[in-house]
Formats: sequence, structure tokens, C-alpha cells
Amino acid sequence: MSGILVSSKIVGAALVLSLALAACGTGSGGTTSTAPPAAATIEIGSLYEPQNLDNTAGGGQGVTEVFNGNVYEGLFKLTDAGKVENLLAESHKVSPDGLTYTFTLRKGVKFHSGKPLTSADVKYSIEKVTAKDSQSARKSGFKPVKSIETPDDATVVVKLASRSISLVYNLSYVWIINSAAKNLTTTEDGTGPYKLGAWKRGSTLSLDRFDGYWGAKPTNKGVVFHYFTDATALNNALLTNAVDIVTSEQSPDALAQFKDNKDYRVSDGHSTTKLLLAFNDRKAPFDKPLVRKAVTSAIDNAKLLESIWAGYGSLIGSMVPPTDPWYEDLTKVNPYDVNLAKKELAEAGYAKGFAFTLDTPNYDPHPTAAAFIKSELAKVGITVTINVITADEWYSKVYKNRDFAATLQEHVNDRDVVWYGDPDFYWGYDNPQVTKWVAEAEQAETTEVQTELLKKVNRQIAEDAASDWLYLYPQIVVASSDLSGYPINGLNSQFYVYGIKKG
Amino acid sequence: MKRSPTFLIGCVLVALVCAVAVVSLLWLPYDPSDTSGGRLVPPGGAHWLGTDKLGRDLLSRLMVGARIALTVGFGSVLVGGVLGVTAGLLAGFATRWLDDTISAVLDILIAFPTLLLAMLVVAVRQASLGSAVLAIGLAMSAIVARLTRVLVKRVLAQDYITASRTSGTSWPRVVTEHVLPNIWPTLLVNLALQLGLAVLAEASLSYLGLGPPPPNASWGRLLQEAQATVLTAPTGAIAPGVLLVVLVVGVNLVADGFRDLADPTRRRSR
Repeated sequence: MSGILVSSKIVGAALVLSLALAACGTGSGGTTSTAPPAAATIEIGSLYEPQNLDNTAGGGQGVTEVFNGNVYEGLFKLTDAGKVENLLAESHKVSPDGLTYTFTLRKGVKFHSGKPLTSADVKYSIEKVTAKDSQSARKSGFKPVKSIETPDDATVVVKLASRSISLVYNLSYVWIINSAAKNLTTTEDGTGPYKLGAWKRGSTLSLDRFDGYWGAKPTNKGVVFHYFTDATALNNALLTNAVDIVTSEQSPDALAQFKDNKDYRVSDGHSTTKLLLAFNDRKAPFDKPLVRKAVTSAIDNAKLLESIWAGYGSLIGSMVPPTDPWYEDLTKVNPYDVNLAKKELAEAGYAKGFAFTLDTPNYDPHPTAAAFIKSELAKVGITVTINVITADEWYSKVYKNRDFAATLQEHVNDRDVVWYGDPDFYWGYDNPQVTKWVAEAEQAETTEVQTELLKKVNRQIAEDAASDWLYLYPQIVVASSDLSGYPINGLNSQFYVYGIKKG
Repeated sequence: MKRSPTFLIGCVLVALVCAVAVVSLLWLPYDPSDTSGGRLVPPGGAHWLGTDKLGRDLLSRLMVGARIALTVGFGSVLVGGVLGVTAGLLAGFATRWLDDTISAVLDILIAFPTLLLAMLVVAVRQASLGSAVLAIGLAMSAIVARLTRVLVKRVLAQDYITASRTSGTSWPRVVTEHVLPNIWPTLLVNLALQLGLAVLAEASLSYLGLGPPPPNASWGRLLQEAQATVLTAPTGAIAPGVLLVVLVVGVNLVADGFRDLADPTRRRSR
């Protein structure tokens, strides 16, 4: 479960430490490729080295970045724009009651080991995600699955206990793996356009073009991911051409050296990571929507975003990022207005304000945001005590024991507005109407109905200020200007590399 | 008494930081949590040293930071000094087995890196100024205690102590009349050096996020916050760094001066 919320950030905390210890990071040696542009190898710089190569065994966001869509493919794929398209499934049929999904597999698909893809591999792969010991963050999405049948080699039938409109979307996260493959934490056997070259732990991971690929040939010969633990070293690697592209920049101030330089292109996409000031909606004073609205209106989110991201990123006013189908701009629901905040506080019976403790994870940007929130809320008479905690403490104190008044946390996944329909979730937002809408949305017969219902959910949680959604992180990719075809929205840290071209 | 020039320079540097801390109690250019300054405004004009990411005035925060640095420095020397000297005296006078026990505990404490010890203290208590002082003081007490023990043993081995004891002087009077007067100059020099180290230890703790929580403007925290913006706004990292150097160098020079004063052989050589 922690994977849903904080997957990358434990790495982030470690990063701060490593920065402190290794003031001078070492860039890995520059590999200057002189191959013809059309078939060049692309050197990619990243801060997220996989923990291992299995996304059901705690591989972390690093393995998603390097393998999703590149080495492993799902029955469906989530495009960079957030659309779900057929991939290994050629087509699918849904029974009228919505409880039986019949998937027809694409023909002529081979695993890297040479074995042809069959329905048994699909069944194996889905069951690997839903298995008891699976650490996949997507596990809960497959609760409605009752059985998986394989009437023939090219057909998979999934039977559900209840309707699940998200099944197809959820399947885009299930890697189809050869059911006979072994040692998946260190090797792979997928169907993607690349196979694993070599993984030198702590340094690089290379992907080589797979010649037996069923689809369009990648536009490059292969890619090498270079892993860094230090953002400065990573940027230096880009400056010295040791890498061609950086998957995700985490500080706007390092961008100055690339922004006005015609050799580099900085792209500003939408991530799915939201920074939340999450209230404990069960406990006074945050059990009153009016108090939460007041706090939301008292904080100048635009200024906070500018402080931390200097012009990058966006305000969304709710839990839904623009790449989700049910996005709406809700920034006007609880506008920044100190007088309104004071009025709402008075109405709620807190004219003189109150005091609360803000549990703040110890890694950036949380302490900075906490200091800002403290100074903003002081203006409406609310006294904030900042309590700095580690990622582990956050998990046990806040997430498991719900022993908090309010906390700061980044929520990285897309389509996670549905957590507001779960009264048992850590923030304890309990609105039976919202819970009903979320359940109905999952049972919906069409995506239009689903979208409509989740829009209602989104509006309602904004009206209730269930949390304060401070801002949406930008997804900043910096690349040499002779590079093209790379993804710019880091949806759930996916990074499709097969379209990247040099020159 | 003649004073060496380095001692004077040391005093001036320390006095400078103390003066800043005192002034910060009475007057600050801006409220250190006022975020109206604008993002990373360069030095000059309204903000002499510029502002940080949130638009807070750097000079005001540095001035408040001086207060924190001195509190931690003197606070932990007090904790470390009292604990260390007491334990050291005890070990110095103790019978064989008690001395061995205390020494073993001290050896273990000394083997612990200060930062690790501080992390443990922070894990048990919350991260706060008090925790930082306690942690640094504890780490320091082991070093002070060991030094005290050796010094005490040396004094007790002297013939005049035996003479004094045979003439009927009680142990407490031996301590006050013979031991303490003989060991304090060395202890004082050591404590002064420890004060400088304590200030650095606090900066490291804050840098790692284990010091007093935000929005406390400890110099270590300022350094940490400025780290990401060092390319675009270098003042944010340079200014707290310079102040740290000024205070620690100042304290060390003062310690050197103390040593020169306390050590008759050095005095004669000048």
C-alpha cells in the first residue's frame, strides 16, 4: 500500500543523505557514440535505479521507468496522454452483464526467449500481481476478479464477481511475463521492443533492440539508463554529453543552465504527483468541512508553487490531474481569500483560531511547504507546530495508526481520487454519497457514466475541502535539442523509449 | 597578564556573533517568517543579503540563527561539562572495579559517532533544539570525562596529596583545594574547543534534518535549504557558511589563548 503513496520518496530521503555525504558526486564516464544518427544508442540519465527487476517484488518506480512498455508489455497500454489502447490484446468483448471479459491475444507475439505468447502466460501474469505475497501497488484493483480461464491459446476469459469498469485500465499495469521464466528479480522475459542488455548495479542498465519484436521497430538501436544518486552529478552528466536526456528534474533552480541554451530543450509536462495537506477528517477541528475550507482558503497555493517550482507545475484544486479523464479545473472552489477564511473560521466557531500539529516528512519539499503553511495560517490566527518525521514514521504514525491532525504527503499515482470513497483510508474522509458514487463508478457500464460519476466525486470533495491539494508537480524532462520522440508526461513514472530518435 | 594577538582576534570574532545574537533579540530587519520578500531576491536594496525560496529575509534568519548556534554551543558545553567532569572525578577517585566500569562505558560512548548518537536521541525524543543540545552534550561528556579522569589520576599520584591526606584532609577538601585548581585550565581549553565542535555538530544535524524543526533558522538548516539553489542564489549558502566559520574559528582561537595563559612553559617562551 505504501507503494501507492510514497514509493519514490524513501529513495528521496536517502538521496538527501547521500548528498550530504558525497558532496562531489561522480558522473559515470561519458560514452560518446559515433554511430549513424538513425540507429544511435540513447544515453538516459535517471535518479531512480530499480531495487530489483520485478514489479511485484518491490522493484520500485525505477523498474517501472525502465521496463514498462519497453521490456514488458501489458494487454493494454496507457499512452503518455493518459489514454488506454490495445497492446498485446487485439480486441476484447464484454458480456452484457459486465461480468465476463473475453480478450483475444495478438498473433505472432514472441517472448525474448523465443517462446510464443499464449493465454497461459497472461493468466500466470495476472495471478502474479494478485498473489498473496505480491507487493504490486495495483493488487487491490483486481479484487473483483473471480476466475481466469484459457479456453484456447489465443483467448483469455476473465470472470468478475462484480462489475469493474477499470479492469482494462488496470490491466495496462500488468506485465505479461513468460510463465516459465525464472529469477525475475535479476532477469526478464517479456515481449517488448527491447530486451535487457546488462545491469551493472549502482551504475547502468542497458536495453538492446529485440529483433523478433512483433510491432514497429524502435527508432534507436538501444538505450542505456545511467543511474545517479545526486541531482547535481546528473545535471553535470547532461552538460558534458555523458547522457542525452534526463527523465525527471526535481529542482527548478538547476534548470537555469539549460533553459537559455540552444543545445538543450526543457519540456514542462504534467506529472500525476500531487502535494497534499491532508487533514485527519475524523478528528476535531478538521471534522468540520468549514474549518478545512477556511484553511484551504488561507493558504496561497500559487505563491507556494512559485516558491518551490519557480513557474513550473500547476494548481488543480482537487485530487484529479489533467491526464485523468475526469479532470476539471476546480481551483475556484476554495479560492485564496484570507477574509473568506476568517469568516469561515468564525462561522465554524473558531473566530480566535486554534492550534494543531503538522506531521511533516523530513525530505523536500515538505519542510519548506510546512514553513510556508505555518506562516500563512498565522495570519488567520491558527498556530501550527511542525513535527518533522521520517518516511517510516509517517507510514506507521499517520498511515497505519491515523495518529495525526494534519500531514503533508505526495500522492504519485493517477486515477487515485477513488481513495476518497474509502472511509477507512488514512485521511478518514467519510461522505456516504461519495462512497456510493465511487462504487457506482466502478460498476458503471460505460466510461461516460464512470467519468460523469467521478466528476461528481471530484466536485464534492473539493466542496468539502476533504484535503488541501496544494499543487500538481511538473514533469520536467531536459534533453539535448537533437533528440526527439521522448515522453513528456511522466504518468506513474513510465518512460517509453522506443520512439526516441537522435538527429 | 599579556594577551596573545590570536586570543584577541578570537575574542573579537566570538563577540561579533554574540552581538548579532543580542541585537536579534531587540531588532530584526524583517520577521524571519515573513514570506513577502519574493523568491530568491538577490542581495541589495530592501534585503541586504537577499531572500530564500519562500521570500524570507536571509539577514533576519541568519541573525536568529546566531542565537540558535550560541544556545547549542553553550548549552551542550554545560551539559557535557557537568556530566563529564562529574563522571571523570568519580572515575578518578573510584576503586578499581568502579573505575573500570565507568571507563568501559566511556569507551563505548566515545566509539559512537556524535551524529549517530544524536540520531538515537532524536529518535527517542522529538527533533528539537533541546534534543540537539542533549545529544551533543552527551557525546561531549564522554570525551570530557575521559580527560578529567586522566587529569585527576595524575594529580592524585603526587606526593603532596599523600601528605595532605596523612595530615587529615578529607577527600572533598582534596578535590576543591588540590584537584580542581590543578585540572581546570586544561579542562577549560578542552571545553572551549568542544564548544566549536558542538556548533558544527548542530549544523550537521540540522543539515540532515535532525536539528530543531522548521521554521527554526539554524545555520545548518539554512545551508541545507540553500543547497538546491546554490547555482542561482549562492548567497544563501555562502552567508551561513561564513558565519559558521567565523564562530568556530573564533572559539578555537580563544581556546588556544586560554591554553597559552594556563601553560607556564608557553608563557615563559614569549
